[in-house]
Amino acid sequence: MSNQNVFERLQNIDRRVFYWVLFITLMVPFISPIGLPVKVVQNTRDLYEGITGDNINPGDIALMNFGYGVSAWSECAPGFTVCAKALFREGARIVFMGAHYDVELSMNKLMNDARADFANKVYGVDYVFLGYFTGGESAIAQLATDSWTVYPEDHYGTPVADIPLMQDFHGWQDIAVVLSSDTGDVGSYFLRQWQGAHGTRLAEIGIAMNGSTDYPYYLAGNFFGLSIGSRGGAELEVLIREPGEATTAMDSINASHLLIVLAVILANVGYLLSRRKA
Amino acid sequence: MTGIVTVLMFVEYFFFPSDWIVASTVRTWAVIIYNISLGLGGVRLITQHVWGTQRRKENWQFSALFLVAFAVMLLGGLAGYFGTGVATSNSVYNWLFNNVYTPLGATTYAITGFYIFSAAYRAFRARNLDAALMLIAGCFVILSNAPVGEVIWSGIPAIGEWFRFTGQVPGMRVFGVVGALGTIAYGFRALLGKERGFYAGGEE
Repeated sequence: MSNQNVFERLQNIDRRVFYWVLFITLMVPFISPIGLPVKVVQNTRDLYEGITGDNINPGDIALMNFGYGVSAWSECAPGFTVCAKALFREGARIVFMGAHYDVELSMNKLMNDARADFANKVYGVDYVFLGYFTGGESAIAQLATDSWTVYPEDHYGTPVADIPLMQDFHGWQDIAVVLSSDTGDVGSYFLRQWQGAHGTRLAEIGIAMNGSTDYPYYLAGNFFGLSIGSRGGAELEVLIREPGEATTAMDSINASHLLIVLAVILANVGYLLSRRKA
Repeated sequence: MTGIVTVLMFVEYFFFPSDWIVASTVRTWAVIIYNISLGLGGVRLITQHVWGTQRRKENWQFSALFLVAFAVMLLGGLAGYFGTGVATSNSVYNWLFNNVYTPLGATTYAITGFYIFSAAYRAFRARNLDAALMLIAGCFVILSNAPVGEVIWSGIPAIGEWFRFTGQVPGMRVFGVVGALGTIAYGFRALLGKERGFYAGGEE
């Protein structure tokens, strides 16, 4: 290290330095928020408008799928929460389900984060939590055909035959809109087995990494709207005018993204200058 | 059997949307079999790790740790169930999930940010024109994803969006279409009973 010139040193900064710099950079906005304005992009706006106003009627049933686990709460939960709030405020009824074994924790978090909206809703009438499902794409296909065979009872063990809301949900034809929030493939199951097969209105609330996979489906009209990562969640919070977790996280996203670009520039300046010198 | 099921699903999808009881019954069976496979997977997992621990195989300590964690979750969950009469919502099970699983899951996911940061610094070098172009595009896309990009320069979101929609989406569409064609080919092979693959333990 001591024989290295300044350009070489720029390329070989110890990774622990970066870890500390990133850690401190991520912490600062939480202590002292910056609050840069978040611009809403069209795909997020389409999602929000697709579940509000004339696009949803009181009494319509929306199917919301937790396709994410606890580890992806930061990316998926804020957008999912805003959508649940928006649907409830439009008078829609919601069927919640999930492909993750920790789906109950996600449901509890949602009920906590949107407690004011859940407070005046009646379980079994305005919403129902069907819980975890297995069976992958076959189960999603069967859910479209005969939902009661996939979920003979809800998450709490109540037979679906005893749940008023479930009297109106037997298959795809009863669902006005499907919102799937995913870290994996479940959204694409709905795409093939619901949207593609029956034309069901479908939107995706995905992690940022899935954005590139989801964009073509949004542009083709398969997804009527698309929320991508924490940024999408923050945009939805702007649209519903209730800043939440994602809005708070935006400061850290700003700091970390900027830091990565600066680090890459730093390393390349060192690389290019050392090459020129050589 | 694979061929019969393939024809069944194929015919239902295109000719009997959603109301063919035969296909519906087969799908219900698929869900049941899937659930059974989960149970078998659990049993297999325990057998494998008990075997590894007994024979002191390499990293057997992790196997032992797995068995302890498995027992704690299982017995804790069962104790909570018998104590409260509530299945997976009981307080013991929730406590374990909220205080062990949740922080571990969130930490594991968050740590990747540090690795990505370090890896980006080390790997992204403009060694030639192609790499330089990719680097520049990547920087614009990263900054366009964060509100700070627009604060630095109002043109960044527009350029990032151009890279995304003009550069990336066509590529992803190609992947999607090629993947779909491959799936159709796979479907036909399954239909003809030629696609045995790992299902039947064969090479083909």
